Formats: sequence, structure tokens, C-alpha cells
Amino acid sequence: MTAIRRSAIEAAIGLVPIALLLALWFAVATSGLAPPALLPAPQTVLLRLFRLLGDPQFLAHCAVTLFRLFTGFAIAAVLGITIGIAAAGSRTVAAAVTPLVRVLAPVPKVALYPALVLTLGFEHSSKIALVVADALFPILLATYQGAAAVEPKLVWSARAAGVSQIRCLFTVVLRAALPAIMTGCRIGLVISCIVVFLAEMITSTDGLGHMLVRAARNFQTVDMFVPIIAISLLGLALNAGFNALRARLLVGYPEEA
Amino acid sequence: MVDEALAAAHPGARQRERMTLATIPGLPPVLACLALFLAWDLTARAVAIDSLPSPWSALKEVPAILGDGEAIGNIFASLRRMAIGLILAIVCAIPIGLMMGRSRAVAAFCNPLMMVIYPVPKAALMPIIMLWLGVGEAAKILVIFLGVSLPVIYHSYQGGRAVEEKMLWSAAAMGMTARARLFRIALPAALPEIMVGVRTGLVLALITMVTSEMIARQNGVGNILFNSLDMAQYQTVYGMIIVIGVLGFVLDAAFQMLRGVLVAWAEPAQPIIVGST
Repeated sequence: MTAIRRSAIEAAIGLVPIALLLALWFAVATSGLAPPALLPAPQTVLLRLFRLLGDPQFLAHCAVTLFRLFTGFAIAAVLGITIGIAAAGSRTVAAAVTPLVRVLAPVPKVALYPALVLTLGFEHSSKIALVVADALFPILLATYQGAAAVEPKLVWSARAAGVSQIRCLFTVVLRAALPAIMTGCRIGLVISCIVVFLAEMITSTDGLGHMLVRAARNFQTVDMFVPIIAISLLGLALNAGFNALRARLLVGYPEEA
Repeated sequence: MVDEALAAAHPGARQRERMTLATIPGLPPVLACLALFLAWDLTARAVAIDSLPSPWSALKEVPAILGDGEAIGNIFASLRRMAIGLILAIVCAIPIGLMMGRSRAVAAFCNPLMMVIYPVPKAALMPIIMLWLGVGEAAKILVIFLGVSLPVIYHSYQGGRAVEEKMLWSAAAMGMTARARLFRIALPAALPEIMVGVRTGLVLALITMVTSEMIARQNGVGNILFNSLDMAQYQTVYGMIIVIGVLGFVLDAAFQMLRGVLVAWAEPAQPIIVGST
């Protein structure tokens, strides 16, 4: 009972800074301290967001962004999990992959974007490729570390029971590493969300990021806030959705700290 | 082979490892770079389009970029902003993170706010911040500051949470004040984890810097990239990408050496770090 009360109190405390931030925004915007051209009031932004939710043009922009986001993330997840498991299963693969990852991981992937635009064009593919490049490494590393940390006795038991090495990777290692893989995927998903938005801001003709840039060029401040809030809410929702999925998939796994 | 790899995860297995090419320090990354350039070369030959020059012609462009006074000035201006943003973020974030780690109330206060801020693309705030602060240095530094703060706070928080309670009790029993305990016990004890956060922050600072310059397009490395793209100087685009890539790798490697000096007593860190905006 006290534990529940304590967590309820903590949740309430946590809402304070968010409420304060909103109140500060409201106060600064309505007191006239900042002209509405520079800082629109929070209710104006929210109203615009709600109104746009019924606007087919806005929804089309959202759909384009979502398409790029999920395609890129799906490719990154498949590649990352496959390479990560393969590297944990074979020393040769690990010896080839580790130095490559070590060189590529700290490189700012966004710098590759001009090259991707040059080779893949201004359309979907260059943005999807950038999402893949950015989301791949957290998923790959989490998978590799998770798979390398799998209890060897589990693998030995499966091998003793006559499971082939390759099958062992899928039936034992992949499942035992699932919690780590899910963590990597969740990070990769939020990164995808951010990267697709930035790529659309840099060069694009559609998508949420393009909406922000277009509004900035026309000094429509309210329309600048709407895409940022939309993409952040999307990131929050994806994060929460993924946590729920994770909780469902990981029923029976030991609880992680 | 599965068994081998799994056995390698155990410390004893490390010592039995044979000397191979892969165990020579510094060689695998060089080989990896060579492999990347070869793959690039083959792709360039296969597709044979103007917009994908061979890696060797792009490499030839690197000395030209570094010899150009304007370009090098832009690069240094970018690096200076990055350093200021990073240092400001570290100075603010470590105390916040440590206090969160040591006090449940502070953690409960800050955590939801951090969760809300986490998925906001920081570099995307550039147009709005430029509206408020103008096009000068302040806007660019603020964006880098925002991008870097979160991972440093998060890792300081994790580090602060994992401090051995007994050390703090002993210090309290010896009459140390709460503030002294925070800075003389919790800070050093959490330092290895804080260093992980700073390393992520360093990579992120570079990413945020390049991204925000690509969005704002006034000066700096991101602007050089897109200027040469607009002028169809493809070699310069690729040469600049190589420069930024090397910069990321070198900064990360240099920080690893610094880390070795500062927290030599701690377990070695993960060899690879991932950062993204």
C-alpha cells in the first residue's frame, strides 16, 4: 500500500516541472513579454495541431514521414539483428564486423546525407538510407552484446540435445538475447523518428520536417511549433507502444533493472 | 563456434587467445577503412555516375580542403562552438544527474521531464532558436548544449545511483557534509559511468553541430557540404564527408585515451559507442 502511495506521489512530483514549463510558456506568451510572432501561446499551437489533424494535406505529410520512418527502421532492425547474431555466433564474422562498426559508429551519419542524396536522389530512398545508417548501430550493438552474454549452459544443453549450431542461434541465442534486442530496437526507433525529421528538414518537398522548414521561411511561427510537437508526440507514442510490446513479448523473462 | 564465442565472453578465455592479425592494436580499424574504400571504389566503378567519384579522387580533395583558409576557418569555428556547447552541457548536466542519482525526490522530479524532451529532435529547434537569439553563435551553441545535456544527465544519474552506500555512510560517520559527500565520494565513484555519458555527448555534439549547420546553412562544415553540393563540386562533398568522418573517429579515440588516464582504475569501457540526435 505504501509502495503504491509512494509511486503515486513520485508520479505527481514528476508532473510539476512539465506543468511549470507549460505555465512559464503560457505566462511569457500571454503577458506580452514576447510578441506572438516570436512565441505563440501554447493553446494557439495546440488548437492548430488539433485542427490540422483533420486536414488531409497535413495527414499526407504525416503519412510520408511515417512511411520513411518505418521502412528505414524495419531494414535497420533486420540487418542489425542478423549481423549481431551472426557476429555472436561466429568468430570470423565478429572479426570482420567489429572493426567496421568501431570505425563507423562514431562517424556522424548525417554527414553522409549529401552523398546519399547524390547517389540515391532526393526522393524516399536517400532518407530511408539515412534512417537505416543511424538506427542500425544501436540495434546491432545491443543484439551482439545481448547474444554474447547468453548463458553458455543454455547453448550446451541445446547442442547436447542434438540441435544444430545454426538452429541453436535462432532457437536459443536469439530468444535469450531478446530483452537486449528489444532495448536496442526501442533506441533505434526513437533515433529513426528524429533522423527522418531532420533529413526532411535538410532537403525535402514533403513530410513533417519539410512543413517546419516551409513555415520557418514564411515566418509562420505557429506552424513551426506544430511539426516539432507532432514529431515529439510521435516519438513518445512509439516509445510507449514499444514498451508495451516489449512487456508482452517478454512475459516470463527475468525483470530488468 | 557458438560455444567458442560464448566462451570468449568469459575472462579466462581472453588470455588463451592466439596472436592473430586482429590482435595487433590499431590494425583492424585501418583494415576496416581500407575495406570501406575498396567497396566504395568498386561501387563507383560499377555505377559509373558523375555524382559518385572514386574514393581516391575524394581523398585527393582532402588536402585541398584543409589547405583552404576559408574552409579551415569554418571547421575551426564549428569545433569551437562544439567545444563551448559540450563544456557548458557537461558542467550543468553532471551535478543534475548526480543529484538525481542520490535523491529519489530529485529523480522523480526530473525523470518525466527528461522523458518528454528525449524524443524532441534538438537540431530541428534551430529555426525557432534562431528566431529568438538571432543568427549568431549563441543559437548554435544552445542547440549543441541541448543535444548533449540529456545523455550526460542520464549516465550521471545511473552512475550516481550505483554508488556504494557504505562509502557514503562511512563518509557521513566521519563528519562529511552532504555536499562534500556528493562531490568527494559520489562524483569520483560515478566517474566511469559519467565518462560513458560524456563520450556519447561528444559524438552527439559533433552530430548536432553538423545537422544544425546543414539546416541553418550559414557557415561551418555542414554549410560547406551543401554549398559544394549545390555547386556540383562532388569531389569536395565527398572529401568533406571524409574529413567529418575522420573527425568523429579521432575525437572518440582521443576521448578514450583521456578516459584511460582519468579513470584508469575502472573496468575498460565498451569499445564502441553509439550516438544520434
